[in-house]
Formats: sequence, C-alpha cells, structure tokens
Amino acid sequence: MRVLVADDSRVMRQIVIRTLRQAGYDWWEITEAPDGAAALEMVVQDDPDLVLSDWNMPEMTGIELLRTMRAQGIETPFGFVTSEGSTEMREQADAAGALFLIAKPFSAETFRDTIDPFLA
Amino acid sequence: MSAGIDIAVFAGTDPIWTIAEEVFTAMIDGEPGYLRVWDGPVPTLSDERYAWVDVHGAMPGRVLLTSELPTVEHLTRALLGMDETEAVSDADLVDALGEVANVVGGNVKALVPDPGVLTLPEVTHERPSTEGQDLLYELALDWRGRILLISLWKLP
Repeated sequence: MRVLVADDSRVMRQIVIRTLRQAGYDWWEITEAPDGAAALEMVVQDDPDLVLSDWNMPEMTGIELLRTMRAQGIETPFGFVTSEGSTEMREQADAAGALFLIAKPFSAETFRDTIDPFLA
Repeated sequence: MSAGIDIAVFAGTDPIWTIAEEVFTAMIDGEPGYLRVWDGPVPTLSDERYAWVDVHGAMPGRVLLTSELPTVEHLTRALLGMDETEAVSDADLVDALGEVANVVGGNVKALVPDPGVLTLPEVTHERPSTEGQDLLYELALDWRGRILLISLWKLP
C-alpha cells in the first residue's frame, strides 16, 4: 500500500508517519509532500493508494487539492489530518469526496478506528 | 474571537487547559502527567520564542504561545523523537513550535461560534506587536518544570 502524506510541517509529517507505524500500518510505503501543489504532482506521477493531507497549507490547501484531483478525474482515496475539525469543515470534506477527517491531536487508536474500516 | 467563548458551558473546566493537555499528551509526551498548570508567580522569561496563529473573521483573534529557547529545543526533540544530545536546527525549532501553536489554535477556533479562517503559524524571537489588541486570557503551564504561556488576544 503506497500512501502520500501531505503537510507543510515536516514535524507534523514525522508525527503522522510515526503514529501510522504505531497504529500497525508499518507495512505502508509512505512518501511525503510539503504542500498541496507538490502533493498534486506526486499523485499524478505516482498514483498512490491513499492520500492523507493537512487542510491549511501554502500554495494549495488540502481541500483545493482534493477538489482539483476530483475535477481531473483522479479518484484516489483521500483523508484529512488537520488541526481543525469543525462541522463546517467536515461537511466540506465530505462533499468534496474525502473518506474521513482526523483532527489533531490524534492517537494511534484514532488512526486505527478511522482508517481500518476503509481497508477491507 | 475568544470573547465569544462561554467558559460557563464547560462546567468549571478550563477548555484551554484541556486542549493543551490533549496536545501534549498525544503529540509530545505520549502519555499524560507531564503538563501542569504553573504553580506560583510567573517568572520573567528570557531568550523567548513566540508562535501564533490568527483567526480572521467576524471576531478576529490570536492564539499566542510564549516560551524560552531551551524549552522550545526540548519540545522540538520530543516532537521529532530525537535524543537529548542531538542539536536542533532553527528550521525544526520554528516548525515544531509553530505546529504546536497551529494545533492549539485550531482547537481553540473550534470553541468559537462562526469562526473565520485560521492563518498559517508564525514564529519569531521578537515579541509580536500587541498594539490595539486586548488580552482576553492567559494560562501559564509547567511542562517538565519549564514554563510555557498560552494567551488569547482580541485583534483590532
């Protein structure tokens, strides 16, 4: 399983990857993108199995990334990992086609509970 | 922004403290117990580092974190899983403190009715100007014996 983690914070990318390992996804091949625009290029080029993206990023936000992917016919499964988890944002994420939104701070258990149902 | 937070609905608990404890437990320490409310008078800080995010919208506000350089270095090592002896780069230090401000700010924003847009975090050595701003709230925290301040400001 090839997974792209997009976040403008290197620290947060490290924490997300560490937490994914703790959640048991240590078999995933993970690549990283520092913003939405870079993530879009990597999605087009590498066709990952899943994108985990921050919302608030320079160049291109996470929701812009998701909407652009879908507008281009790219149906890669997509989830948000973001510091904001308001009802309005969850509705926007859902409407754009995201599978889930995990709000920071998160735990390995949160990752498992949220992601496992989509891995069947 | 925070003027719109009704503390009474939190049944006597401090929502900012709850957010800070959750952030430190999940992201930094991996377990609870290392973050407490600062006991006693708040000392004068030296070699400070500041990190903040703003919420733009109907009630603009700022969530500001203030701490000292050695504390921020420890925080960065904890966030990145580094050894105590490893040197911390400026880029990692700025990234780490900014991300803590970002996560705290994002959760504070969730307390506010009808919030606006959250800015990307900024990190500086110089204290950001507070001209025209009102201090709404300040919480002094003790993280492993080191002081960290969280303050909420109403922007003009």
